[in-house]
Order: sequence, then structure tokens, then C-alpha cells
Amino acid sequence: MADKMNHIERAMAALQNQPVDRLPCYPIACGVQRKLLNNGAGITYHEWATDPKKFADAFIAGQRYFDHDFAIGLMDLSVMAGDLGAHVRMDEQNTPFVDDPVIKNIEDYEKLQVPNIKDPKTRSHVLVEGTRQFVQELGKEVITAGFIEGPLLVLTQARGAEFVFKDMYDNESSRAAVHKALATITEFDKELVKAFGREAKPAGLVWDYLWGSYSCLGDTEYEEFEGQHKYAGCLNELTAKEGMAFCVHNCADLPHLDTQVKAFKPAIYSMAYYPLIPGSPSAKEVIAKGYSDNCLMAGNIDPQGYVRWSPEKMQKVTMNLCNEVTTALKAKGLGGRYCIASGCEVPPSVATKLENIKMCVDTTKQYGTFA
Amino acid sequence: MVDKEQTLAGLERAVVSGKKADSIKFANDVIQSGIKPLEAIDGGLIKGMMVVGEKYAAHQIFLPQVLLAADAMYGALDVLLPHIPREAAAKRVEMVIGVVEGDVHDIGKNIVKTMFTAAGFNVHDIGRDVPAETFVTTSKTNNAQVVAMSTLMTPTMDSMKATVDALVEEGLRSQVKIIIGGAPTSQDFADEIGADMHAVNAQDAVAKVKAAL
Repeated sequence: MADKMNHIERAMAALQNQPVDRLPCYPIACGVQRKLLNNGAGITYHEWATDPKKFADAFIAGQRYFDHDFAIGLMDLSVMAGDLGAHVRMDEQNTPFVDDPVIKNIEDYEKLQVPNIKDPKTRSHVLVEGTRQFVQELGKEVITAGFIEGPLLVLTQARGAEFVFKDMYDNESSRAAVHKALATITEFDKELVKAFGREAKPAGLVWDYLWGSYSCLGDTEYEEFEGQHKYAGCLNELTAKEGMAFCVHNCADLPHLDTQVKAFKPAIYSMAYYPLIPGSPSAKEVIAKGYSDNCLMAGNIDPQGYVRWSPEKMQKVTMNLCNEVTTALKAKGLGGRYCIASGCEVPPSVATKLENIKMCVDTTKQYGTFA
Repeated sequence: MVDKEQTLAGLERAVVSGKKADSIKFANDVIQSGIKPLEAIDGGLIKGMMVVGEKYAAHQIFLPQVLLAADAMYGALDVLLPHIPREAAAKRVEMVIGVVEGDVHDIGKNIVKTMFTAAGFNVHDIGRDVPAETFVTTSKTNNAQVVAMSTLMTPTMDSMKATVDALVEEGLRSQVKIIIGGAPTSQDFADEIGADMHAVNAQDAVAKVKAAL
């Protein structure tokens, strides 16, 4: 079925709970789109994640090839930790990751300093400039968004999650040191928010608040070390103040939906679904429980499916999700308040099947209607 | 005079509350008072970790508390294990655990290791970013009956297959049960690469391996 709305009309209608021609769709295809560059021969992850133009070119190429409803500039989750001094390992075709943390003991927490993100050598600069470039090219076609790591995520990358979690409660001085580092990273985040808002100018900014998960932290712990009245609260406000729609991505299992959706009040919330984990909420449960009432929820196709499934299976899974979502939205009297998406980033692996991304988008176009 | 019941209860309490200094103190009391170390492990540490596991599964406590409890358990084990008679130690199931090559995310692996240790396995933790050959040599050296591997990232799932293949090539496959875990993995994937089983969390892993042995 041919689309009756353009991408921005559809996304805006979905955000405002108005009728849509079909559900919006955005498989979170970011690093994988580098495969479309160099005449289809692709470029390495390292090239993509260190060169603003190549970073932007992949999103532009991806938009032309897949015809997404959004463009969201996720690079990887070691950008800020790397700029704080952690060593980032960059394999040719693997997502970069921290292999040598910068915080090695309690004293190091207090030594963190906000880097100069105007320095072209920082990947924060690459991220903002790359986002600016694809926003300039795509901003009139789709809803664009920058992607930024929340303070607790950055700290766990800079120190190692296990150490951070232990230091939170080991003793009062380690707990104070964790807070001191989070305060510094919050300042770093503020610099980045301003850079996104004033230089890149995307329509929205997506926060990765990964640790808001009941597999990791309870409400009390999350509130103390990131929550609405702590570091996240002021960053969420600043995002809106800088003219960007505040959005959240959290691909952890058992996310803190009451905090991150109902209290944070993002415009878009993207999440994963773990059918094997008891209590992991499905799309219809998320809608039935009211999380789509005031927010465009997004999810939740298994990212592994883009690597391992046949296009036929991807089509079937997408059709089923479209059906589940439209049925649940109708039951709640909602418009297009759910975006068909992957639960987490489409794996940027060379083995990922681009035809599965295309199949997901095309199937949503055909079966994501409310007829 | 050290009271045995009080000491074991103290060990349990130290683990549940994540107090490493306390658990080491009680472990030293065990040695000095002649309480059998295995009794202290079973009646104090393991009992405590079981409580922690149950509370974690019920979302009454969370990762920080579990990790501090694990630290407390390992602190006491460092004191107690050297005093376990060799024949008793030999009865423990030998297990090798690691994060496969190319991945450094080991928090999940460490929780799984803790639960297997608490369940009485002799766990050889070979760390993270571990090549297939290291899984093979460590399994061989320790006569491992279980190999557990994890990854959090998609591109490194292939390293799991490489590890299974290496165990097959070395003729070790029939001697070990292979269990995999980590966010992108599944039982389907375990079947595909020739592993025996997949687990979604640490308690599931312990239950499945125990049932398979």
C-alpha cells in the first residue's frame, strides 16, 4: 500500500496521537549503514566512527536505501568515556568498546575532567559534527535526532560497571566519589546537549539511560544515581530548553518504565522485549498499561533477527508486531503511538542482512495500517 | 570459645549484607576454632548466597548488593579453600568460564561465576576477551566437566562457535557440557553452534547444568 503521509507528517501525527496512514517505522540502523558506502563495498567501523562526513553519509545513504521515518545518530557507547580518557578498542568491523577504563581506583573518580568537545580529535566532536551534517541533509524529510549517553552509562564505561555498582554502596567515601564523578559527567553531558542544540540542531535528542533496569538497579538506587531528581532530571530539562524533543532509548531488560516514561515524560521511548525473561513487557502490554498514552513508544523486534532470520521470517515477525500493536492501540483509542523498531541497534556486524532491514520497513508500510 | 552456629550464622549474615571484612573475620574464626571449612562454606557462605540469589530473583535487592555479597563470599573463600582436604576438593565439579574473544563485558559472567561457586562448583575464571585456545587448554588442564561462555555483543557470537569447534577438534567435546549466555544468545543459537544449553540468568544456568551432569 502506498504511503499517504510523508515521513514527517506521519511522525508528527504519531507524536501528537493523531491518526496516521500507517505505523511509523525505524529499525535502529546506524553503524550497519556504513555497508552502503563506498559503492556498496562498505567502510570499516573505525572509519565511520571517527570521520563526521562518513558518519553522516551512512545515515544519508541509509535513508535513501531503506526509506526510514526517523534518522537517529547513534555512534556507539564508548564515545564519551573515550573522551574522558578511557582507552577505546576499535576493531575493523566490531562496535568500539572500552578495553581499559580511565577510573582505576576511588581517587580517580574525582580526577575526571570535562573534555573540550570543540577539539576535532574528540569523538564527541565527530558525533556532533556528523549529526549536524546528516540533519542538514535529511532534516526536511524525516525527524532527526542526536544520540547521547546518560551520566551513569558513561561512568560505567569509564570505570567498569561492576566496580561502579560496588563503589555505590561499599562505603560512604566510595559512594561520594561516585556522585562526584556523576556530577562531572553531567557537566560534560550539558556541554554536549548545548552543542547538539546549537550546532547540529536535530529535532530530538535520544538519551541512553541503560541502567534504569530492574535487573540492575531498583527504584531507590536508580533515583539516587541517575533519576528524575538527580542527574537525568536536569539534563532532560536542558534538552527541551535547547529546542530538542527529549527522547529515551533503553534496551535493557525490565526497564524502569514508570520513571523513564511516566516521570521523565519523553516524546519517544524506545525499548527491547526479552520473551525469555519473566516480566519483560511486550508491545501490547506496554500499550495496555498506558505507556503509549502520552509517549510514542518504539520497539521491539529482536535485533538478532536482522542477522539470523530469513527475509520471510522478518516479514512474518514484523507483520505480527504490526497486528499486535494496531490491535492494542485501537483498544486504547490511540492513534499511531507506536513505532515499529528494533529493540536495540540493528547489529552493525558485517553479517547483518540489509534485506532484513528493508523487509521490516516495507512490511510496516504494507501491514502497519489501521484498516 | 567460638560457637559454631553463631559463626556460621555470622558468615551467612556477612554475605547477605555484603560485608567482606566481616566474612573474612568469621572465616578466620572457622579455621582457628577447628570448624570444618566445608561445613562453613555450606552452612554459611552458600546459605547466604542462596538468600542473595532468591532476593535478587524477586527484585528485592539489585546488582550492587549482589556484587558486594559476592565479594564477601570470595573474601571468606580465600581463607577457607586452602584448608579443605584434598579428597574433598577433588569431588567438586570443575568448570571453566569466560567471556569469548572480542568482548570485554563480564559483569554477567561474574554473576554466573558467583552462583556456580555458591553451588559448589570449582570455577576457573579465565576472564574476558578469551581466545578459543585458552578455553581448550584450561579445560584440559583442569579436567573440566563444564565450559560456560558469554558474550554481550553480536559480532563476537562467532567466537562462541569457534570455541565449541576448538573443543571438538581437541577431542574434549564429549567430556564437557557447554553452556552459553548473554543478551544476544538463545537456545536456538546454542543448538546451531553445537553447545548443550543456554541460560537466561545465573540461577537458570546453575539449575540447567546441575540437571545435565
